[in-house]
Amino acid sequence: MTMRLVAAELVDSRQILPGQWLQSFHAPELASGSRAGQFVHVRTGDYSGLVLRRPFSINTADPATGIITLHFRMVGRGTEWMTRVREGERLDMLGPLGRPFEVDPRSHHLLLIAGGLGMAGVRMLADEAIRDGRGITILFGALSASHVYPSSLLPDEVEYVVATDDGSLGHHGYVTELVPDYEAWADQAFACGPQPMLARLAQLAAGRRDRLGVAKLGRKRGGGKSDPLGSAAARRKSFLQVSMEQTMGCAVGACLGCTVIGVEGPLRVCREGPVFAAEEIAWPASA
Amino acid sequence: MKAKRTIITFGDMRVGKDSDRSKRTPTVRKIKSAIVAVDRTKSPAGARPRVETGSSAVADLGAPTAPRPTLAEQAALDRIDLSIDLAPARGASEHGGLILANPILVASGTFGYGVEYGEVVDVQRLGAICCKGTTLRPRAGNAPPRVTETPGGMLNSIGLQNPGVDAVIEKYGPIWQTWKVPVIVNVAGESIEDYVEVARRLDGVPGVAGIELNISCPNVGKGGLQFAIDRDAARAVTAAVRRATELPLLVKLSPNVADVRPIAKAIEEAGADAITAINTLSGLAVSPDRTRAFLGNTYGGLSGPAIKPVALRIVYEVAQVVSIPIVAIGGVTSLDDVLDFLACGAVAVQVGTAIFADPELPVRLGDQLRAECLRRGFDSYRPFIGTALPKRTGASSAKGVEYRP
Repeated sequence: MTMRLVAAELVDSRQILPGQWLQSFHAPELASGSRAGQFVHVRTGDYSGLVLRRPFSINTADPATGIITLHFRMVGRGTEWMTRVREGERLDMLGPLGRPFEVDPRSHHLLLIAGGLGMAGVRMLADEAIRDGRGITILFGALSASHVYPSSLLPDEVEYVVATDDGSLGHHGYVTELVPDYEAWADQAFACGPQPMLARLAQLAAGRRDRLGVAKLGRKRGGGKSDPLGSAAARRKSFLQVSMEQTMGCAVGACLGCTVIGVEGPLRVCREGPVFAAEEIAWPASA
Repeated sequence: MKAKRTIITFGDMRVGKDSDRSKRTPTVRKIKSAIVAVDRTKSPAGARPRVETGSSAVADLGAPTAPRPTLAEQAALDRIDLSIDLAPARGASEHGGLILANPILVASGTFGYGVEYGEVVDVQRLGAICCKGTTLRPRAGNAPPRVTETPGGMLNSIGLQNPGVDAVIEKYGPIWQTWKVPVIVNVAGESIEDYVEVARRLDGVPGVAGIELNISCPNVGKGGLQFAIDRDAARAVTAAVRRATELPLLVKLSPNVADVRPIAKAIEEAGADAITAINTLSGLAVSPDRTRAFLGNTYGGLSGPAIKPVALRIVYEVAQVVSIPIVAIGGVTSLDDVLDFLACGAVAVQVGTAIFADPELPVRLGDQLRAECLRRGFDSYRPFIGTALPKRTGASSAKGVEYRP
């Protein structure tokens, strides 16, 4: 679906974690036209001089009810304003924007890796994968037990594995440390979270093919035919896709504000992304 | 709320145009979309919940901009002349002037190459499009992050990322050619030779209606800002480009100078057809942990409502020393802003940062200006121009406007 301006009516707003909110909006056009990984650009009140919209991943979308949800952290005046919007009020949303996750039709097992609020970036992919009959494991990392995304908000079919930095729940350490256990099981991995986490995952993914001998076993996806970097076909064949974040202006590709550095030059998060194959990104060497 | 919904839905079903569809029981989805559609056409006085935050964002889409005019009103609106020639001095030549259907332009850097907003904006209804700054060779731009919001505005340091003039011509020229809206290519460079070469390559390209010289980009080491802060350099680059092309030539002023008037005067004398004022103000933001500057490039250009008073002051000053048309830019978000700039002597206005929040704004401003002319009993918007300028100088900047082929 092409992007459009939509008046989305708030139907429910809940604080699901300290400082984190889950809001449901009635927006049938967005609910039926969006794919996992895409985002909306939300206009906030300009009563205090806010001049930019705020981008949010579409957390879930249900075409049957016309409801989409957004999951966000209150970090500034724009998001603070959003928490005070009341049921029945409508927000001006531009969307759906950006390119979605690309799942290879032959992938049976998907590994989703989320750090903190990164859950919002991959959450919808879990629904799509279950609908398509794929197995899903979500690895989730947070500061402590009190910041762990409630399992009640995830579909029953998901295997949910948690790591906390302070060890108060699940694995004691970073979520990236859980990944090696799953790299043989997973056909593809999809991640969203802080950039150091994504950089570490990219590092792990880069050596995976050699470690597992996938290429030698003749399971090279696409029969060795190479698709142009950044194309949907190339992303489908990539083991790791990441959803990236950047401060954003227009969100349609006009202002060139939200770039990240790719191996072939700057990439617009709003247009070429927010989902990228890991090998498209020039990761900082220190990761 | 519940009861009203039922009524609306029922009414909508009863008058369903498609008889086939009206026999079927609508699904939940159909009913809900009908509610949205009906709600949108309700009058502003409708029962939409009041928003106490004073926000214009909430339910903005739900409120129609104006009641649909009657046929007679529409005919009166259509008679109002919003057209403007930004290059009246070229009017007689074969290339003609730079005639815009209305004086609301979209600013360089905020509207890409005119195609990015797709169906969200009807580009044909804009006065003109100033495209992203274009240089001779491709540029990768500055390190991210490149934008951040500031009180009443934003800072950007894109750094003139663009694919180079040849790629721009090849990729977008054929599209622009099919549009009736004029496209003005914003040109940047590091040397006079760069500017001249880009202008030369744009000359005669179908779909390119004019050039806006960006001699004031604050975001690149040698982005041409040196041309905008020095009178003789501004004169030299304008004159050189003037010799290189027959295209209508606008030159964009920088506010980052002590006195803009001698520079504006030099640009006029060097043969520019019009002046655009202003570019962004140089600014800085600090990273959240306060260990460095936030932007990858350290400095950024400030735009948005925060700079409107500065832009007004500069337009006001320039209007009193030049007689070529002035295109104002800086923090326009409403019709009042447009009228303020016109009163200070501008003949046209560019909308920039506000597009990011409200992509439909430029088109709406054109409609609102037309309606305002009708309300005031004017047959064009000319009477709005220069009314706030000191009386002894008269409407000097409007002289170029009066001269029409």
